[in-house]
Amino acid sequence: MLSTMSSAQKSNTAFVVGLLLVLHGFFVVTLLVANAPLEKTMGIVQKIFYFHVPCAWLLMLSTFVCAAGSLAYLFRGSERGDRLALCSAELGVLFGLCVLVTGPLWARAAWGVFWTWDVRLTSSLLLWLMLVAYGLARRYGGAGGRRLASAMALFAAADVPLVYLSVNVWRTLHPTTKVVSSLAPGMRLPFFLSLAIFSALWGVLLTLRMRVERAQSRLLELTIVVEDAEEKSP
Amino acid sequence: MARPSWVSQAARIAWKDLHIEGRSREVVYTMGFMAALVVLVFSFAFISGQEVTVGPDAIAGILWVAVLFSGTVALSRTFDRERENEAIRSLLLSPVPRSAIYAGKLAATASIMLLVELLLVPLLAGLFSAAIWLHALWLGLLLLLGTIGFASVGVIFSAALLRARSRDALLGALLFPIVIPVLLAASRATATLLDPAAPDLDPALFWTRFLTALDVVFVVVGLWSFEPVVMGE
Amino acid sequence: MTYVALAYGFIWGAVFTYVLLVGRRVARIDAEIEDLRQRVKTGS
Repeated sequence: MLSTMSSAQKSNTAFVVGLLLVLHGFFVVTLLVANAPLEKTMGIVQKIFYFHVPCAWLLMLSTFVCAAGSLAYLFRGSERGDRLALCSAELGVLFGLCVLVTGPLWARAAWGVFWTWDVRLTSSLLLWLMLVAYGLARRYGGAGGRRLASAMALFAAADVPLVYLSVNVWRTLHPTTKVVSSLAPGMRLPFFLSLAIFSALWGVLLTLRMRVERAQSRLLELTIVVEDAEEKSP
Repeated sequence: MARPSWVSQAARIAWKDLHIEGRSREVVYTMGFMAALVVLVFSFAFISGQEVTVGPDAIAGILWVAVLFSGTVALSRTFDRERENEAIRSLLLSPVPRSAIYAGKLAATASIMLLVELLLVPLLAGLFSAAIWLHALWLGLLLLLGTIGFASVGVIFSAALLRARSRDALLGALLFPIVIPVLLAASRATATLLDPAAPDLDPALFWTRFLTALDVVFVVVGLWSFEPVVMGE
Repeated sequence: MTYVALAYGFIWGAVFTYVLLVGRRVARIDAEIEDLRQRVKTGS
């Protein structure tokens, strides 16, 4: 039984390997991004877009995965689903933070203000807040914390398209700032490569985080077993 | 003996809560007071000088923020009586379908909130000279839809937080991010309806439809998720 | 240009910090496993 504990050491190796692979990918992407053509109106600042958009995509992906895991946990009692929800929510908070920092940086450089109530940025903020609330519900929600958080995740996922739609309509009634939506040919490769690398990073982090979480719960079970045994034969 | 229908079971639960509330009126008073105070706080915070010139946008916003904040008071009380004496357990042991419990609780909470809101609207009219009579019925519909949207999510969270210690602090924090679309739609529609100078009512129509869709989504998710969430209690 | 560097740097920093935090978690679990092993050894 204890021999399975070496999986924690195994995951350390996988950890390093996976991370090295992604780092390698990062350097490749950086070079490509640096060599990509300069966008006409915004110049070099536009290059933030290569990191900003993948992070936004990962925020959304994390939300849906969290909702899927929560669904499995709520309706089928799947502990693994619950772990998946927790880990992906964490990653969503991480990458969401990246979106919310790089977005204003881009806005500041391009338009002079940090926040423009741009539809995507605002929707991302709301989504991020929901994932943070998910974490709060789990941590401080008491006995029913996990279930509460799972219900939150379901509402959040259902909310995603509605938030986007409502903020979009809300903002089109006011003057909007133009966001680059069409990609020049020279930009496509670095962009999709960046997206792929970021997604791979997300996948690696999720897998490893899941392993840690599973090890944690196994450890808890085993601790209980050992303590029971110790009580019976002191 | 025929089994009572789902609707009548939900209605019975709603009626029970409303009946108890009718005796003490505790929630209505505290929520109503809170709502009025929120409106007043906004007045003091935003209005300067002699003239009370607040546009329909701001009035709509004030109304719905007051509904949101005071609604949290009502929601935290939704399961208060079930918390005492482990009444929640007897409720769950009964053969009443969980979705009926949810619907009943939703109906009761929404009714209490609506009652307070109907008293709040004249207050706004008085304080800000809001043109509430322009489209009074539509305004009433918006209040209903917005309240349902808000309470449909709130009842679930309130149930789940039944035993949590930081219940009151958490409820608002968890609820608000999710119901922001409700706030947005409701206040945008209300703003259009309160504006005598509005060119047409298209925005109000759009937001009302949007709010309805939102309500459908939230109530469906709520009906669906109530049982597994409460089961753990 | 500074903005691009800041943005990129932030993402790197955030991901790296996260990895570090998870690494610390792993170390703590490893320590507890060692502790359990010791207890089993002394018990049996």
